[in-house]
Amino acid sequence: MDQNFVTVLYNSPHQIPLGKLLAQYFYLTGLSAGSFVVSVIAILGGKSEYKALGKIGAVVAPLCLVLAPMNLLTEMAQPLRSWHLMTYLPGYINLKSPITYGVALLTSYPISAIIYAFFVYTGNMKMSKIFAIIGIPLAISVHGYTGFILALGKGRALWNTALMPTLFIVSAMVSGIALMMLIAIILNVFFSKDKSQEAIAADRELIYGLGKFLGGVIIFDVFLIFNAVLVLLTSSKEAWHVAELLLWGRFAVDFVGIELILGSLIPLFIVFYPKTARNLKALSFASILVMVGIYAMRYTVVIGGQSVPLH
Amino acid sequence: MSKTQSLHDSTPDKAPVVRFAMVLDLRRCVGCHSCSVACKSENEVPLGKFRSWVKVIEKGRYPDVSRQFLPALCNNCDNPICNRNCPVRATYRRPDGIVQVNQHRCIGCMYCMASCPYDVRYINPLRKIIQKCFFCDHRVDKGVEPACVETCLGRARIFGDINNPNSEIAQTLATNPVTTLKPDLGTEPHVFYIAADYDAMDPTSGVDINHIHFEHPF
Ligand code: SF4
Ligand code: SF4
Ligand code: SF4
Repeated sequence: MDQNFVTVLYNSPHQIPLGKLLAQYFYLTGLSAGSFVVSVIAILGGKSEYKALGKIGAVVAPLCLVLAPMNLLTEMAQPLRSWHLMTYLPGYINLKSPITYGVALLTSYPISAIIYAFFVYTGNMKMSKIFAIIGIPLAISVHGYTGFILALGKGRALWNTALMPTLFIVSAMVSGIALMMLIAIILNVFFSKDKSQEAIAADRELIYGLGKFLGGVIIFDVFLIFNAVLVLLTSSKEAWHVAELLLWGRFAVDFVGIELILGSLIPLFIVFYPKTARNLKALSFASILVMVGIYAMRYTVVIGGQSVPLH
Repeated sequence: MSKTQSLHDSTPDKAPVVRFAMVLDLRRCVGCHSCSVACKSENEVPLGKFRSWVKVIEKGRYPDVSRQFLPALCNNCDNPICNRNCPVRATYRRPDGIVQVNQHRCIGCMYCMASCPYDVRYINPLRKIIQKCFFCDHRVDKGVEPACVETCLGRARIFGDINNPNSEIAQTLATNPVTTLKPDLGTEPHVFYIAADYDAMDPTSGVDINHIHFEHPF
């Protein structure tokens, strides 16, 4: 009915149960999973010049994942009861809940990532390859499951789509690659005084290659976002309202401005435009923009998803 | 009623002996908010939180106007998504259909709150656990009606066992056109409405979507 005909006189308060800390948690697991995957690609790729990249990722991945669950614990109303999640007794744990898979993954993935980092740094290639292969599915699921958490929240139109886990994994790759690229640039510019001129040039080639890879994954990410928005615009009434919030409403600055324009389109231009594609300053700027953009994405998905009233 | 309708139940013959449900007959509701008050006092619901409330809207243009009420509470769904998603089984469904929360197991992760399509759960700010309407099971188990039902002056709230053909609720459901909130979601709500208004049932009707005030739960 025409909105002007209706006035709401009284209603109970609308709530946003999952707050910014949850968005931050998703962001950190995404960074971790993304940088682990890049590290493994570098190690399994076999070429010795990729090793430096493999080492960066091997440290960043467990580090981000140790920080991530702190956000969850602070967000919970009863953090001291979190051991209830780990009893693993049939009557006490719900195997249908994505949080249950998440707890198992959040325990096993950091352990395997730390063992992997140990072997990468001690130079044991055989063992680091074995743990790379064990770690890849864990890294992808540790971030994929966060997509399932949202996808199974059936009350929210933005979350309850089959696209959510894939979107989360791809955006994790985007932020992980950006972080690795930034660290590689910092190491290259500030911490390679004792390296030979050729080694530095080789590292730079690697960074330019990483930039192209980043561009490719961003294109895939933008394609997925396009799909999601297109379906929101033509689906249920609530979905339409979410699209309204994201595209020209309350979250337009975060979604269109920061996530799409600053976090995707400008970096895409930088990594593919020939003059900037081989410029370390421009590339580091691009990677910072990408990381900010992915943070905005986590924020809009978590908070924006809950910003349509349910009653 | 529920068993023949159920999407998810393949064995309608093995219906449980008792299935509690509520009917809100809005032809009799006067919008007095007594149910909200009774519920608060019965269940010590803290300030600013509600297990049951009455949404009030006005619609139309003068002189053709009306005021519509929509009392809301947990639907004690047959296929509750809150129950499916609770990682530690703090939320559970009793055999008689009441969806209850074990206050000693709940870890306060709020996933149930985020998944419930009706936003009927809240965190008790004093005890830091999830609470919601549970059809006053402490009263129902003793054979007394829920507080909101007992207090309702227009007798708009009818509570009982829908599997007992002699109960008032079973007869009301059988002889009236009823609906539920968001039936398309497949949660199988067990709070039924008679004469509920389309706009009152629509959460986005009459609100400016960009300027709604939201609260963090605690
Ligand atoms: S109304 Fe919400 S909280 Fe109540 S049983 Fe259904 S899904 Fe759970
Ligand atoms: S807040 Fe409590 S009842 Fe809700 S899903 Fe978490 S543990 Fe279960
Ligand atoms: S049945 Fe009990 S808990 Fe539920 S709304 Fe009524 S008084 Fe409140």
